[in-house]
Amino acid sequence: MHDVRVEVTPRLGGQAVDVRGNVVKARLLQDLGIDVTKVRSISGFVVRSPVVASMLGERVDDLFVDPIIEVGRLGSAWLDDDTLFPDAPDLVITIGFKPGVTDNAGSAALDGLRTLFPEARVEGAAVATDLTFAFYGLPEGADGPSIAAGLHNPLIERALIQSAPGAEGWQQLGYPERPVVEAQPPAAVDLELDDEALIRLSEEGLLALNLEEMQTIRDHYRHPEVQAARTALGLPPHAPTDVELECLAQTWSEHCKHKIFAAHIHHRDEETGEDVEIDSLFKTHIMRPTLDMQEEMPWLLSVFHDNSGVIAWDDEWSVCMKAETHNSPSALDPYGGAMTGIVGVNRDILGTGLGARPIANTDVFCFGPPKWEGDLPSNLFHPSRVLRGVHAGVRVGGNESGIPTVNGAIVFDDRYIGKPLVYCGTVGLMPATLPDGRPGHAKTAEPGDLVYMVGGRIGADGIHGATFSSLELTEDSPSSAVQIGDPITQKKMLDMILEARDAGLIASITDNGAGGISSSIGEMAEQTGGVEIDLAAAPLKQVGLSAWEILVSESQERMTVAVHPHHAEAFEAMAAIHEVEATVVATFTDDGRFLVRHGDDVVALLPLDFLHDGVPQLRLESVWSPPEHAAFVAPETPDHNDLLLRLLARPNVASKEDWVRQYDHEVIAQTAVKPFVGVERDGPADAAVIAPLHGSSRGLVISNGIVPRYADLDAGAMVVAAVDEAVRNAVCVGIDVDRMAGLDNFCWPDPIVSEKTPDGRFKLAQLVRANRELERMCRAYRVPCVSGKDSMKNDYGTGADKISIPPTMLFSLFGDHPDVRMTATSDLKREGERLYLFGRCRQELGASEVASMLSESGEAAGIGGAVPAMEHPEAQREAYAALSAEIGAGRIRTAHDCSEGGLGVALAEMCIGGRRGAMIDLDGLGLDGADTFGQLWGESLGRIVIGVEALHEAEVCDALEQHGLTLIGLVVEGGRLVVEDGYDALIDVSVDDMVAAWKAPLALPVGGER
Amino acid sequence: MTTVRVAVLFGFGINCDHETAAVFRLVGAEAERLHVNRLIESPGLLSSYDILAIPGGFSFGDHLGSGRLLGNRLRFALREPLRDFVANGGPVIGICNGFQVLVKTGLLPGPPANGDLTPDFEQRASLALNESGRYEDRWVTLEFDPESPCVWTQGLTRIDCPVRHGEGRFVVDDEAVLDAMDEAHQLVVRYVDPNTPKGEGRTDVRLPYPTSPNGSARNIAGVCDATGLVFGLMPHPEAVYAKWLHPDHTRYTAPEAEASIPIEERSLGEWEGEGLQIFRNAVDFVRNRSS
Repeated sequence: MHDVRVEVTPRLGGQAVDVRGNVVKARLLQDLGIDVTKVRSISGFVVRSPVVASMLGERVDDLFVDPIIEVGRLGSAWLDDDTLFPDAPDLVITIGFKPGVTDNAGSAALDGLRTLFPEARVEGAAVATDLTFAFYGLPEGADGPSIAAGLHNPLIERALIQSAPGAEGWQQLGYPERPVVEAQPPAAVDLELDDEALIRLSEEGLLALNLEEMQTIRDHYRHPEVQAARTALGLPPHAPTDVELECLAQTWSEHCKHKIFAAHIHHRDEETGEDVEIDSLFKTHIMRPTLDMQEEMPWLLSVFHDNSGVIAWDDEWSVCMKAETHNSPSALDPYGGAMTGIVGVNRDILGTGLGARPIANTDVFCFGPPKWEGDLPSNLFHPSRVLRGVHAGVRVGGNESGIPTVNGAIVFDDRYIGKPLVYCGTVGLMPATLPDGRPGHAKTAEPGDLVYMVGGRIGADGIHGATFSSLELTEDSPSSAVQIGDPITQKKMLDMILEARDAGLIASITDNGAGGISSSIGEMAEQTGGVEIDLAAAPLKQVGLSAWEILVSESQERMTVAVHPHHAEAFEAMAAIHEVEATVVATFTDDGRFLVRHGDDVVALLPLDFLHDGVPQLRLESVWSPPEHAAFVAPETPDHNDLLLRLLARPNVASKEDWVRQYDHEVIAQTAVKPFVGVERDGPADAAVIAPLHGSSRGLVISNGIVPRYADLDAGAMVVAAVDEAVRNAVCVGIDVDRMAGLDNFCWPDPIVSEKTPDGRFKLAQLVRANRELERMCRAYRVPCVSGKDSMKNDYGTGADKISIPPTMLFSLFGDHPDVRMTATSDLKREGERLYLFGRCRQELGASEVASMLSESGEAAGIGGAVPAMEHPEAQREAYAALSAEIGAGRIRTAHDCSEGGLGVALAEMCIGGRRGAMIDLDGLGLDGADTFGQLWGESLGRIVIGVEALHEAEVCDALEQHGLTLIGLVVEGGRLVVEDGYDALIDVSVDDMVAAWKAPLALPVGGER
Repeated sequence: MTTVRVAVLFGFGINCDHETAAVFRLVGAEAERLHVNRLIESPGLLSSYDILAIPGGFSFGDHLGSGRLLGNRLRFALREPLRDFVANGGPVIGICNGFQVLVKTGLLPGPPANGDLTPDFEQRASLALNESGRYEDRWVTLEFDPESPCVWTQGLTRIDCPVRHGEGRFVVDDEAVLDAMDEAHQLVVRYVDPNTPKGEGRTDVRLPYPTSPNGSARNIAGVCDATGLVFGLMPHPEAVYAKWLHPDHTRYTAPEAEASIPIEERSLGEWEGEGLQIFRNAVDFVRNRSS
């Protein structure tokens, strides 16, 4: 093996531009205010292979260099070349990966090398990449380390900083050599310890198991029959091996077992005196309602037990959806964490039934304020950096996978500095019936089936992800829990799996996510009643992994697939064509055992029922007393023009266009309502509508609801608003309200009372109220939850510096759209269109966006007051059904819901989308108790502004009047939004001013984004 | 009617293969998604198809330059079959990443119009990073050179469709290459200002971002080789196969398709989108040639 370094830099002059350099130059100015004259970039490749430098040199233009726009060089640095780099830069920073971190460009380069040089197809050949930036005209005082800090994440990357060449020229980065690690043989872990020592063992080993769980494990090994079985296989009889303990820790983690949602809860309400016992929030408030509804909804095909929930769509196709979070990894490495989040949830879809094809992504993020100027706890990134990294990760993950990002949101709150929330969702499409007659949504594994690990290899990355995310973030959180996704490896695997599915080769399939194969194979083994794994068969990224590490590593891009033995040959041939690695690592049995070997040695033996059902139920305490907030009092003489323009500029309201446009939202040629609508294609869409069957206008709707602000007053109200928002958004585009399904996605601060969490009882009471309201809303709206997820440890630090996120539930919705040609969008369509408010305005300003804005600025004392409520959800559903029917009939083409900033902001956004003005009179909106301030800025639920052409007005009014319909105005010429209260103008603002206020805050400079 | 067979390549990160196959089917062809390695495994397979399409995507993650690594696989493993396919009059289209692949293999723009037109696999142009420095999905307006020999664009004047790329800036290292291509009407399709009268939008004067989304020389969106058979473009005409995919369909203002057949003969009727005619042109070309 030889290490040969290749450097590539853009040609300059003529049409040539160094775009990468320009991007860094613009970013330095934006982030640090440092204005340099010029930045030049150089890509570096360290090629480790049997190919010698002279051979490689002849082919540099065939592989590394684009000869039209770049020049390449072998060996010494480009910076040492006087013709191309005549002036010495003031500063040179080279960024490369740390050893063992996924280097996707390096893997691609290796693949390209092997196309040209077959002799490089040997184990150990590798390419490592780096990027060098040379800075010219650095202002006084700008220092290398702080510039480098903005360009790399020291957790996964290394930086070489130079301000002058050495005696032998400019230094270059070498190959990131991994220190030699020896695999450790499995060891017995003695659990016959006192309680304190057991807990210490759990904490120090990052096991995240509590005392009762540790005791339960210890007690398991005291059973004589357990000991006898172990002795027979040569295992330590009285104690678990480290493999077993790690496997149990992953399987029993909060992340995998949802122990808080399964807990027995003693709940007291200090307001009402209620005192009850609840046996599992999940079973009581989420599963039960769905199962009840399933009796009347035969189209609910698969709920809760698979990787995503499946509903029937048309006769030939079923659809499924899953959303989940990737919060902790995104806090440590926003780019890698978010990318693994999106490609991970894609795998949940691929692993549903016998395999579904991901067809749409949704991304909802919660971050600290992008312009935060306050303190930052150590080990946390500035929110703007988190935003940029998460966005880039999701962009690369989604775009490179060829899955459109069709809908999403970004929510800002100070407390998300402690833990950003990164919700990634994916919709999938699967045949209702496979060519061989099996239903697409059911798994058919049998004893004797071979279990393949397909896709990427197992490495030291991603060890302890499941248990780590079940702990709070600290300064010492491990870097091994961070990974970078590899979308192309995954895409190859996805292509291959779907082809294998259609050929009838797959008996069962699941994703490798949290807990690695210990979880994926362990869970799948329940289908046949046992499994025998051989860890020595598993392909590894590097030597030196111990047995337990192989079992629990969460290395990405892997699926676990069960294949009948007589299909093995065809399956492997298909994998070879797609250049996907597929290796038999286990065989399903029916002997009730989870048996793990490493070659000839048995390293773990766990009864399946103990592994899956042995975890003791938590018993938790919950006490509710309403939080106290100073009441929000509206200003006596409000300047509504000013309020409107300020609200439009709030990060929660402002346009995210420059960010969202970087997601491919229409690959697959199906997106009929895109994230942007209107004349200039920059108005907000309420929900996505896709028509995934090419040539057919039958559609699907995808929407989201998230309103964490309301949890400050009542987490129950927060959930009510989220469910209503998701449904309301979907109604705005004409969803069939009889065919919709939901996903609940809870992100909570730790709700278990302890020394670290003295207010745990209150946080748990918030969760109880949230679940009760979720049930009430879902039953009334007839929207069954078919899948869900919870992340329950979203805190940073301890004591006085502790930051807990606001309790947050994202409600995602998907459902049927009969015909995408009949839909409505938020932009005003043409002059003369009549505008109506559908729904009623109550005086509901508690925790509203305007209340938050005026409290933050000191213009109001607090956010307290009536939080938006939904007293009669059944009636609201009837109203939505009527409105959706009018949209489906083509009589309403303009609709936009009122959410953050209420009616005032909704009207402004409609004007922006249509680049048209409107004349509005609020007279007639006061019947339900709201004053003009409440009518304009209050956030009462269930409200939608609709535009109706004169031609359809009578019919629409007939259909909708009984549900609360008030004529509020007209679309007019003149480009101004004018709002009167019957007498006086409250608002008179030009559309241009609204556009400017709304688009500026989160805009990106052209050339300023990576 | 003659069956027209289309090979739609996929694998290694190509991701517009499903819709690209679908649009050929909507204009009456028989289209098959074909993995790159199946073709490499049996190179003779290519001659059993009439049309070759290389769809959009992110082959090999665009690492080492978009289209480069897939281009190399084709250039080294399928050189003769590809050369023969074009030499025998087979239309080839590359969209987005497919265009990048065709440019990196040298199939586009191909040998100069005044000499031997057999593909020589020499790279003469490139698609560089957008000047904006970012990947974007946005709708653009395109106009076609009415005198182009390109078999794919006959009869088309203007269409709207999305661009979805980060590396779409068409560049050459010698301005004379562009002059020669222009003279041979190989600069088939350009980004134009939608406010210009239809048919009068094409210009050599650099249009501002985002009218030209990437800063391409002479606002070039796509080019063909001198035979007119091989066509590549960055924007996605397949993404507007139906009018309901045009962002203006909800405003009743989505443009009508310029189609070569009457509304009642189109599979989507009045809902046919502007992009479909490009694919119909190639299918018709093959049919007319064989009849």
